[in-house]
Amino acid sequence: MALAQPLYADQHRPIQHQFNPYAENGGTILAIAGKDFSVIAGDTRQTEGYSIQTRYAPKVFKLTDRAVLAVNGFQADCSTFVKKVKQRIEWYRHAHSKQMPLKAIARMIQGMLYGKRFFPYYTYNILGGIEEDGTGAVYSFDPVGSYEREACRAAGAASSLIQPFLDNQIYFKNQTPAPGAAPFEPGNLPMDTVLSIVIDSFTSATERHIEVGDGLEMFVVVAPGRDVAGVQSLGAEELPALTPEGERIFVLRRDLKKD
Amino acid sequence: MFLTRSEYDRGVNTFSPEGRLFQVEYAIEAIKLGSTTVGIRTPTGVVLGVEKRVQSPLLESSSIEKIMEIDTHLGCAMSGLTADARTMIDHARVTSQNHAFTFDERIKVESVTQAVCDLALRFGESMENEDAMMSRPFGVALLIAGIDELGPQLYHTDPSGTFVKYEAKAIGSGSEAAQAELQDKYHKSMSMKEAQILTLCVLKQVMEEKLDQHNVQLAQVTQEKGFEILSDALLKEAIEGM
Amino acid sequence: MSIMEYNGGSVVAMKGKNCVAIASDLRLGNQAMTVATNFEKVFPVTDSLYCGLAGLATDVITLRERFRYRVNMYTIKEERQIEPATFAQLVSSTLYERRFGPYFVEPVIAGISKKTGEPFIAAADLIGCLNFAKDFVVCGTASDKLFGVAEGLWEPDMAAEDLFETISQTLMNAVDRDAFSGWGAIVHVITPEKVISRTLKARMD
Repeated sequence: MALAQPLYADQHRPIQHQFNPYAENGGTILAIAGKDFSVIAGDTRQTEGYSIQTRYAPKVFKLTDRAVLAVNGFQADCSTFVKKVKQRIEWYRHAHSKQMPLKAIARMIQGMLYGKRFFPYYTYNILGGIEEDGTGAVYSFDPVGSYEREACRAAGAASSLIQPFLDNQIYFKNQTPAPGAAPFEPGNLPMDTVLSIVIDSFTSATERHIEVGDGLEMFVVVAPGRDVAGVQSLGAEELPALTPEGERIFVLRRDLKKD
Repeated sequence: MFLTRSEYDRGVNTFSPEGRLFQVEYAIEAIKLGSTTVGIRTPTGVVLGVEKRVQSPLLESSSIEKIMEIDTHLGCAMSGLTADARTMIDHARVTSQNHAFTFDERIKVESVTQAVCDLALRFGESMENEDAMMSRPFGVALLIAGIDELGPQLYHTDPSGTFVKYEAKAIGSGSEAAQAELQDKYHKSMSMKEAQILTLCVLKQVMEEKLDQHNVQLAQVTQEKGFEILSDALLKEAIEGM
Repeated sequence: MSIMEYNGGSVVAMKGKNCVAIASDLRLGNQAMTVATNFEKVFPVTDSLYCGLAGLATDVITLRERFRYRVNMYTIKEERQIEPATFAQLVSSTLYERRFGPYFVEPVIAGISKKTGEPFIAAADLIGCLNFAKDFVVCGTASDKLFGVAEGLWEPDMAAEDLFETISQTLMNAVDRDAFSGWGAIVHVITPEKVISRTLKARMD
């Protein structure tokens, strides 16, 4: 009889236990550079599998008066990483008595990510802001620190939906200027155009990707002396800056579909 | 171990009852035995000049190295126990390269000076569980010259780990006379040419031998060319221009 | 290895005002190796109805021939041209016949109804589950990219020329970000009067 079989026979088989230190928390981030401004955006939904953990988990953070970091991937690694970056930036400010320049932050992030090459932070980072020469800049990173400066970048769950759209709208890929018209110049679009491309990208991603939605936060970093009436008229909140007369950072919030 | 009053100056990390660290003070004295070294800052760059004491006619004067490069935008002149300076400059070079590697930018002059001064105080008796430390203070003073986003700068460091920014500074055996001369002749709007000549004039006054291109060395840091030790031809030209 | 990615390729279809468009890339691959750059994945069914098939190339060819056979049978028996909506059902039932041993193909259908003049697009999964969209449908290895770009570029009631530009830009920018698709593209814009077919000058890398 089957039931008479000794039960302990099963218990002596080796059982393999495994701990998976990573999760994937959905969401998408995106940044676009202009001539003298930079827009860094992210949705606010946080998921695990098919469940929504929260409808408001910020993914975009102010680092300095001129640098904003968007992080995406595994939430625990993201928040730890942002904390450490902020700490290093503060140490730098004490050691060298100046705010860390954008390209220095970019290089430092490279070092911090590569430092964990064999147990990486599961984070996709996009750094945006104003370079020391006053130009808008976007730096994108892979989880182990490979990085480059670009005019735009999308990362996260819906990056495959958004990036080809940005190729077309920001880099003018597969487009040719009208005969006699000036050649296209990526990274030179006016701010209102950039903002509407960002909003369009996220509404599109929300429409077709289940891990994207709920809310949209757009950080706009503006070079010193640039006109800010445009972004102010959209109802942007200005973040306090360490140095007046320097770069300024605004936050624009929009609702995304919650379904 | 019990230390008698007269032995306060033996322990390098022991304060005397008057609050002095004798070994550090003696180290500062050692600099006054060194050859004279001058640095002058101008609005466009910094000039460094050293006297090279050629003790023997058989000595190859080109082998006396008292001005060294730290990075492309940083240079350094020394006076005192020049062998000690090698450790410090090596540290400065590593710090500068490390900064460039981690932050993709040139280190500030003040930061590299601070790094060198941090090293200057790492002497003393090592604890049992520590690796060997430096046994005594450095017996050398440095003039660190460089250019960063704040413009051309000149710093002076001494064995106590103190650093001060100067517009013009002289160190070494002839420093008192040289500093007086600098105070007299220096003005803020000097050209690099004028600064080179003033450096040479100051050195000439305090040197025992007759100044020529074999017993002095000039270096400069400029925005355009960074740090450079003046070539024989340029040095000769500067001397002739005195 | 997914069998749907074995040969690569993508198809997209869009609705406009009194017109529809359907387009595909031209790559035929063997995993990462490109074997041919003239592999069209869109086939005419009638003079105003086209069918695109993305997926396993051998099944693409087999299904193309099976659909041709079944449409011919329909035309002979019924003595009339097949309507887009009817063809969609034909596609669906053909695929569902192989519910437990499917053809590894995702079909896309685009046409204009001869009866009503209404534009029609539809897509199905590999076992024939139909999706009648009112804007656009996509399939293939670049489907996620196609969704993203199409969602950003498409707008209602485009005329034939605008629709051509929109579908071309959608396809090209999507396949340029997909290693398994690309190497040229072909677009068919179907209007009640005529079909305009254009081969696009695209990136060949």
